Amino acid sequence: MIEINNLHKYFGDNEVLKGISNKVNEKEVVCIIGPSGSGKSTFLRCMNLLEDVTDGTITIDGQEITAKKTNVPKIRSQVGMVFQHFNLFPHKTALQNIILGPLKVKKMPKEEAEKKGMELLEKVGLVDKAHMYPGSLSGGQKQRVAICRALAMDPKVMLFDEPTSALDPELVGEVLNVMKDLAKDGMTMVVVTHEMNFAREVGDRVIFIDGGYIVEEGDPNELFQNPQSERLQTFLGEILV
Amino acid sequence: MDALVEKLPFLYHMIKVIPYLLEGMKYTLIITFLGVAIGFVIGAFAGLGRISNSKIIYAISTVYVEIIRGTPILVQILFIYFALPDLLDLNLDKITASVIAIAINAGAYIAEIVRGGVESIDKGQFEAGDSIGLTKNQTMWHIIWPQAFRRMIPPLGNQFIISLKDTSLFSAIAVVELVYQGKAYTAASASYFEPYFMVGLFYLAITIPSSIILRRLEKRLDV
Repeated sequence: MIEINNLHKYFGDNEVLKGISNKVNEKEVVCIIGPSGSGKSTFLRCMNLLEDVTDGTITIDGQEITAKKTNVPKIRSQVGMVFQHFNLFPHKTALQNIILGPLKVKKMPKEEAEKKGMELLEKVGLVDKAHMYPGSLSGGQKQRVAICRALAMDPKVMLFDEPTSALDPELVGEVLNVMKDLAKDGMTMVVVTHEMNFAREVGDRVIFIDGGYIVEEGDPNELFQNPQSERLQTFLGEILV
Repeated sequence: MDALVEKLPFLYHMIKVIPYLLEGMKYTLIITFLGVAIGFVIGAFAGLGRISNSKIIYAISTVYVEIIRGTPILVQILFIYFALPDLLDLNLDKITASVIAIAINAGAYIAEIVRGGVESIDKGQFEAGDSIGLTKNQTMWHIIWPQAFRRMIPPLGNQFIISLKDTSLFSAIAVVELVYQGKAYTAASASYFEPYFMVGLFYLAITIPSSIILRRLEKRLDV
C-alpha cells in the first residue's frame, strides 16, 4: 500500500530523516516508536506531504506522491491524518467538522454528507455531540471527532501522530478503542505512539526510529521482549520503567 | 427657547451651529463608511499579500503598506486631490478624493490587522485543512478567515474610529465635513468656543456609541 524509498528530509542544514525505506501492506497496522526528536513524526507527516520531502520517493497505492507534478490536495484527501492536538475547527460543530471535506473536496450533496457524518459519529459513540462545538467536548471526544473527520474522506490509509499524547490518562482508552475497531475493520494504519500496549495488542509491526534512521523493526512482542540494538534497549528501559 | 438663550447667551451659538454641523456630519459619515468599507477590501487583499508565498505579491503589498504608513494622511489627500488629477489630467470631486484617501489609508492599516489576525491562527488549523484535501484557498476561506476575522474585530473598530477622526483633515481641501462646517461658522459669527465645542461633541456622539457597540460585539463573539 505504501512504499517509502530512501527518504531524506532536511530542515535547513539539519538532516532529520537520513534515508528511510519501508513498506506498509494493505490492512497492516504499523506503529512507529522512538525518542522525541528522532524524526518519527516528520516521517509520518511526509506521507501526506505536510512536510515536503527533500529526497527519496513515497508511493501510495501505486501513485508516487513525491513526484513533481502531483495534485497535492488530492493526495492528502486520500490519506487520513489525526493530530496530537486534534486541530478541530473551533468555529464548526462536530458534524460540520466532519462534513467539510466531503462537501468541499468530494462535492458530496449535503444530505448525503450529513448522513455519513452521523454514521461515523455513531461508530465512535458521539451521536449526541453532533451539534456541539469542539470547545465543549472533552479531549477524548475531540480526538474521536477528529478521527471521524479523517474517515469521512474514505482514506486509503490513516496516519496517527501521537493521537493520545495530549489526553488525560483516563481518556486515552476511548480513543485507543476507536483505533482498535478501525484496525479490526481492516484499515491500513500508521501510528506514531508511545502506547506500547496498543502497539503490542493491535500493531502488526513496530518500527523503532532513532536519529533519523530505522534502527529496528519487527513483530511487537518480539521487539519489546528481545530488543537487538542497544538504543532500543535503552529506549524501552526508559519508557517501561 | 428664546428665553433660555437670553439667560444663557452662550447657548445661542451652540444651537445655531447645529444645522451646519449636521450637514457636515453627513459627509463625515459618508466618507468614513465608504472609505473604511473599501479600505477593508483593499486591506484584506494587501494583508493576505503580506503573507503570500509569491514574492511579487508580497513586495507589492509591502511597498503599499510602508508608503501609506510612512506618510501623513494630509499629504495623501493633497496628493490625491491636487497632484494626481494634475498629473493624469482628470477631474476628481472632493468627496470622491476623500473616500479614496480614507480607503487607501485605512487599507494599509487594515492590511496589518488582517495579517496579524491570520498569523495568530494556530498552524494546526492550516494543517488540518490541508490534511482533508482542501486547497490553500479553501482552507483560507472556510477555516482560517472565519476564525481570524473574529480576532480582527477589535482592531478594525479601532481603525474605524481613527479613520473617522482623520476625515477632519479633509477640511484642508474644503470638504464640507464637520470641522470645515464648524470653522465656517466661526468665521461668520466671530464666536470660537461654542462652535468648536459642538464639533467635539459631534465626534464623541459617534465615537462613544461605536466603542460601546464594539465592546458588546466583542463580548458576544467571545474574542
